[in-house]
Amino acid sequence: MATTRRTSQRVTLLMLVLASITVLTLDYHGEANKVITSVRNRVGDGLSPIQRAVAAVLHPIGDAVSGAFHYGAVQQQNQVLMNELGTMQRELAANNQASAEARNVLALDHLPWVGNLTPLDAVVLAGPSSNFEYTIEIDRGSSAGVATGMPVVGASGFVGTVISTGVNHAVVRLLQDPRSTIGVRIGNNGTDLGIVTGAGRHANLGVTLFSSSSPIHKGELVYTSGTSGSGVSAYPAGIPVATVTSVHVATGGLGVAVSLRALVDPTTLEYVAVLLWTPPA
Amino acid sequence: MTASNWARLCLVCVTAFVVQVALVDQVVVAGYHADVMVLLAAGAGLIGGPQRGAVTGFVAGLLADLALPTPYGLSALTFVLVGFGAGLLAAPRATETLFARGLTCLVAGAAGTLLYAFLAALIGQGGMLTSSTLEAAVAVAAGGLLLSWPSLLGLSWAFSTPRGLGDRHVMPSGGSATL
Repeated sequence: MATTRRTSQRVTLLMLVLASITVLTLDYHGEANKVITSVRNRVGDGLSPIQRAVAAVLHPIGDAVSGAFHYGAVQQQNQVLMNELGTMQRELAANNQASAEARNVLALDHLPWVGNLTPLDAVVLAGPSSNFEYTIEIDRGSSAGVATGMPVVGASGFVGTVISTGVNHAVVRLLQDPRSTIGVRIGNNGTDLGIVTGAGRHANLGVTLFSSSSPIHKGELVYTSGTSGSGVSAYPAGIPVATVTSVHVATGGLGVAVSLRALVDPTTLEYVAVLLWTPPA
Repeated sequence: MTASNWARLCLVCVTAFVVQVALVDQVVVAGYHADVMVLLAAGAGLIGGPQRGAVTGFVAGLLADLALPTPYGLSALTFVLVGFGAGLLAAPRATETLFARGLTCLVAGAAGTLLYAFLAALIGQGGMLTSSTLEAAVAVAAGGLLLSWPSLLGLSWAFSTPRGLGDRHVMPSGGSATL
C-alpha cells in the first residue's frame, strides 16, 4: 500500500515537473510567447485598478513604516521641528511636500535633454513582483501610445525601458537590471564611448569602455550615445544616465577603470515620463 | 480530493495571487517584499503531503508567473519541487501544531526562494545568484512570520472534507460505516 502511494507520488511529481518544463520551453523558445504575453498583459490590466486603490491606501502607511525604521533620525528631526517651528510650520512643511511633488511632475514636462521627443507622464503603480526583478509598473499602456522598447526617464535622467505593455499599464525594466545594456558616452559631446550594464540592487553600474581618448573626471555625466547593436539596446542620444563616481588609471596608463552611479534612484520614484520614441527597425 | 476540494484550492490560490500582486508586492521593506505563493506551495506540502504540495505548487506557480517577466513556468517548476519537498521532508512531529507548521512553512518558503534563484540562473537569467539572493530569502522568511498562518488556514479549509460529504462517511465508534 505504502509502495503504491510512493509510486503514485513520484508519478505526480514527474508529470508536474515535465509539465512545468514544457511550459517553460514553449515560452523560452518563443512558440507560446505571444499567447503568454497577451494573457499576462490582460491579467495586469485586470489587476491594475486594484493595485491603484491599494497603493492609494498604502502610501501613507508605507511612510509611517519608513518612519518607524528611521525612528532615531525622525525623533531627532521632530525635536528640532518642535522647538523651532510649531504647528503652523509643520502644515507649511506638508504644503512644501505637495509642492515638491508638483515640481517633480512639472519637471518631467520640461526635460531639457528631451529635444523633439514627446514625453508622456506616468505614475509608478508598483515595484517588481519578484525580489529578483528590477522592474516597475506604470499606469500608461498601449492606449496612450506606449510600446515595447520605449525609454522611460525621471526628472534626473534615464530610468529604464518598457518591456511589455497592457492596455492601461506597462512594465519597465530598470537600468539596474543586469539585463539592461546601454551604449553611452562620457560627457554630452565626449568621445569616450562605452557600454553600461545594470549590476543589481546595491552595486554601482557596470561599465565597459571601448574608446577612451580624453581624460575622464569624477562627477562627469554619462549620456546615452544613441548607438545600438550586438546586444546593446537602441535609445535616443543625449539622455543623462549616470555620473562618474571614481576613475582609476591603471599603472602605465594602459587602461582606465571607471565607476558609475545611476542618476535616478528607482526606490523613490513616483512619477516618470515615457519618451514616445520607437527604436529603429 | 473531491471536486469541492479542487474548487476551494483554486479559490485559495487565486485569492493569494490577488493579495500578492495588489497588496504584498507593495509592502516593500529594505527593498524586498514577502512571497505568499511560495508559502502556499510549502504549506500545501506540510498539510496535505507531497502529492497535494506538488499540485498546489504547480497551480500557484502558474498564477505567480503571470505577474513576472521571467520565463513562464519557472515559478511553477520551483513551487512543484518546494511543495513536494516540504511534504516529503516534513517530520510529522515538527508539523503537529499550526505554530510549528507555520515555522516550517516559512523555512521552506525561504528555501524555495533560493531554489527559484538557482533554477533561474540555470536557464540563463542574469543577476539571480548574488548577495541579494540570500537577503530575498530572509525577507520571504520574515514575511512568512505574518503570512504563513493565514496561508495554512486557507489550505486547511481547501483540503478539508466538505461537511455534507464528510457526514456520510463518518465511521461510528464501535460500529460499521453507515452510507
